[in-house]
Amino acid sequence: MSATRPLILSPGPHLHSVESTSRIMWWVNGSLAPAVAWGAFVFGPRVLLTILGSIAGAVVAESLAARMLRRPASVGDGSAVCTGLLLSLTLPPLVPWWIAFLGGAFGILLGKMIFGGLGFNLFNPAMVGRAFLMASFPLPMTAGWAAPRPWFGAPLDAVTTPTPLTTLREHGLSAAMQSLSGHGGPWNSLLMGFRSGSIGEVSMVLIALGAAVMLVRGIIRLTIPLSVMAGLAAVTAFSGAPGLHLLSGGLWLGAFYIATDYVTSPSTQGGRIAFGLLVGVLTGVIRMFGGYPEGICYAVLLGNAMVPAFNLWFRPHRRVLAGSPS
Amino acid sequence: MVKRLVATFLRGGIHPDPHKEATRDLPVVDFPASLQVTLPLIQHLGAPAVPLVKKGDVVRRGQKIADSPDSGAPLHATISGKVKNIDRHPHPTLAISQAIVIARSAEEPLVEEEWIEDPNWQECPPAEILARVREAGIVGLGGAAFPTWRKLTLPPDARVDVLVLNGAECEPFLTSDFRLMVERPREVLEGALVIARAIDVYDVRIGIESDKGEALERMGAELRRLPASPVEISLVSCATRYPQGAEKQLVQATTGRLVPLRCLPSAVGVLVQNVATAAAVREAVRFRRPLMDLTVCVTGPGVMQPRNVRAPIGTQLQELVDFCGGSREGTSRVIAGGPMMGRSLPRLDVPLVKGMNGLVLLTGPSPYTGGYDACVHCGRCLEACPLGLEPDQVGVYVEAGRQVETETFGALDCYECGCCTYACPSHRPLVQFMQVAKSAVRRSQAAKVLKG
Repeated sequence: MSATRPLILSPGPHLHSVESTSRIMWWVNGSLAPAVAWGAFVFGPRVLLTILGSIAGAVVAESLAARMLRRPASVGDGSAVCTGLLLSLTLPPLVPWWIAFLGGAFGILLGKMIFGGLGFNLFNPAMVGRAFLMASFPLPMTAGWAAPRPWFGAPLDAVTTPTPLTTLREHGLSAAMQSLSGHGGPWNSLLMGFRSGSIGEVSMVLIALGAAVMLVRGIIRLTIPLSVMAGLAAVTAFSGAPGLHLLSGGLWLGAFYIATDYVTSPSTQGGRIAFGLLVGVLTGVIRMFGGYPEGICYAVLLGNAMVPAFNLWFRPHRRVLAGSPS
Repeated sequence: MVKRLVATFLRGGIHPDPHKEATRDLPVVDFPASLQVTLPLIQHLGAPAVPLVKKGDVVRRGQKIADSPDSGAPLHATISGKVKNIDRHPHPTLAISQAIVIARSAEEPLVEEEWIEDPNWQECPPAEILARVREAGIVGLGGAAFPTWRKLTLPPDARVDVLVLNGAECEPFLTSDFRLMVERPREVLEGALVIARAIDVYDVRIGIESDKGEALERMGAELRRLPASPVEISLVSCATRYPQGAEKQLVQATTGRLVPLRCLPSAVGVLVQNVATAAAVREAVRFRRPLMDLTVCVTGPGVMQPRNVRAPIGTQLQELVDFCGGSREGTSRVIAGGPMMGRSLPRLDVPLVKGMNGLVLLTGPSPYTGGYDACVHCGRCLEACPLGLEPDQVGVYVEAGRQVETETFGALDCYECGCCTYACPSHRPLVQFMQVAKSAVRRSQAAKVLKG
């Protein structure tokens, strides 16, 4: 053999798929680019500062914590960026950048690194960060809703406007639909995102586009998102506004991007269905009976707490029964 | 009859790049007669064979030179010549083993070998078939190298009614079975009839992956030319999906029967044989010709001119690589068998042994070179496992030093197809975790038996 270097001995398999965790994470981040761009268009470029603040908080916390815990640097795997990005997309557009920074840093530190880093955390770090901000900065977190750009080309105004779900909660369905009446009807403004809401949730179409990219690349399956939607639909069916619930708020962002986080969702199909239904039901319950117009954040955190149990209850069925010759 | 519906196993599996284009269309070429062969006395599991010749003896090709004391298979000279020595020699998988070295001088003319056909081979009684298969030293040529006569000796309580021939060749890169089915379909079919006769079965199904259209065509055409027989042979086009050629998975694909975990296919009335084994059985029964040559697919990005080579057992692997133009700069790994379940070899100065159907030279770092990360619980291994085991849990438990507790996750049931490891985005060596877990569970069970 002409090779002078010794041959590598390793166990099988000797081939590996091209997929890797960091590749997956960067694809997830990339698939959110249209939603980010649209958020910047609808609410003005200042939201980019909020997004960058959140990402910076997550990345700084991750690298500092890794150094303190003497773990290998893990910022390059894209998961901290993913956490910061997802957190920022759930924030109201008027939240200042430094609050977003704190949220990202807290989420990574106490949501992830303290458990041992990627793979070991129980709760979704982005949602831990959001819960922390809700508790620490209640005013900007609940009143920072900017009015959307009224239509293409129209100037932005800095007036705050309640979200459709807030209006629904406080003034009922007809008022909520009224608030959405511009831009070719309420459904159109929900789909396109000409309505008030968090930075990244406003356009269903672009969230769906990103989700489609992840589905085609095999990064996520439909199991969890569909279960979340089914759970929410079941609870809100009698409220008269399941359509509004399903198409508004952070539901799509939550169902496709947040509830599907590998580490904090079950790994078996049965567990994923149960988890998704629970998150959906809790979202509906919080929205209808709880203290917040939006519910996905706490629903996901509560669902996360159940993941180890779901993994235990829904294990893959193994076929040990003896078949008989025909 | 050719079944055109796409059959498959139902659970798990992966779709690695097949990489078969390099050798798929290359006819099998004979390796030019070697001057020396090294025949290890260990060719398969079990006790080593006992030599019947001694140093200096003159042997001719096909002569039995060693026989197994127990349930193994005999060994034959694969070239004519003189026994040069019987000594310890490098072995591809065992590091070192006793081996018989036969050498011939280059001046001596090669004798055309002659094998006399048994005119009544089609009426050969089952016991005689088994005897000839044993005498021919045939072992499973799909890679497992289990003595075929033993596999054909069914336990008295087994009721087998289907023979499945494995022509799936689901391992990436390998094309030796494919070429056999394309070039010598008659031999495979006659071998199938002989095996069916030996185990008294009238339903034979040949599973071939659907991307091997040419093999399906040639086998189908030959099947139509076969004289009428009470044995019905059908070709089953199986989905191109790894591990379609694993025994349990192929049984499900071709018969719809599910082999329970820790059971052999005979538990559901099926016996599986590789197509190359069937062709060897036909030689043994029809011509009393022992197993002397193997078709090896020498391929991979590290080989200059990949080829399908038929070479005598005992040929040095280095000679095979040289016959294929040598190895490329940057060849880092040599795999005996396919790249999913094959073994990596530390050296090429080892002989070809029974059951080796591929020699894959890979370049670049191994999938394990960069280390691995924590499990991110993505569930890909659970989706990929054809048996419904839980490699993720086994890995986490082994890392925590709790490998003894992994039986519940299927550690004992894993046959190491490698789907989980292939799919893991954290590059976790899940098959190795399974191996660690398996031996720990077995040890603790043995300890319990001793105590109890």
